[in-house]
Amino acid sequence: MGQVSFRSGPGDLQQEGPRVRIIISAPREEIDEGRAVGLEYPDPINVVALVDTGASLTVINPELARSCKLRQTGFAKVSAAGNQGLYPRYAACIKFVDNLKGFDVIPVVGCKLPQQSISCLIGRDLMHRWRFTYDGRTGEFSILD
Amino acid sequence: MATQPTNLEREFSFFEQHRVEWAQQHQGEFVLVFDGREAGFYGDYESAFRAGLEKFGSQSQFLVQQVCAVEPVFFIY
Repeated sequence: MGQVSFRSGPGDLQQEGPRVRIIISAPREEIDEGRAVGLEYPDPINVVALVDTGASLTVINPELARSCKLRQTGFAKVSAAGNQGLYPRYAACIKFVDNLKGFDVIPVVGCKLPQQSISCLIGRDLMHRWRFTYDGRTGEFSILD
Repeated sequence: MATQPTNLEREFSFFEQHRVEWAQQHQGEFVLVFDGREAGFYGDYESAFRAGLEKFGSQSQFLVQQVCAVEPVFFIY
């Protein structure tokens, strides 16, 4: 169990939201098995993710899913910005640049995100493993896993 | 001309046909579907995914879907 604190200042935290850096790729087993039969996989990609208590699922930009060669394993019915539809669900591995436990195999949903600087919304499906503290007065948030 | 459904869309259609029946015994579990047949139920997504890779290999497209009588809607605000 570890705790990581992030401080960006009250104004920035209010404006940008709680952001963390993640490293995303296909699950290790899939890469190993694929490479054994001659398939190629890109290196894991380091992107900015927003911790989003308003998202029940973890979402990534579809371009990121393609860049990482994530395997689609199904569909999820998602309601985003008033639109409801079936979106692709992919198997991913997510690690954190900071000292938090990663997720070896988790489902993520591919859905276009409006803000270009954010490639991933970390939803409550991942947050269920955390104690998440947001202090708007000091501009600090912390994650205990 | 209508586009042909992908393999995964066909597997999902098979899942849709059986979801209510499967939910009676496996509500909340994750089903693995490949080649138009059910290939096992698992307690979590990770186990079902790993089983799919092991059974069908990395070049096959298999479906992993949570069994619920009614498809849940996930909200992103």
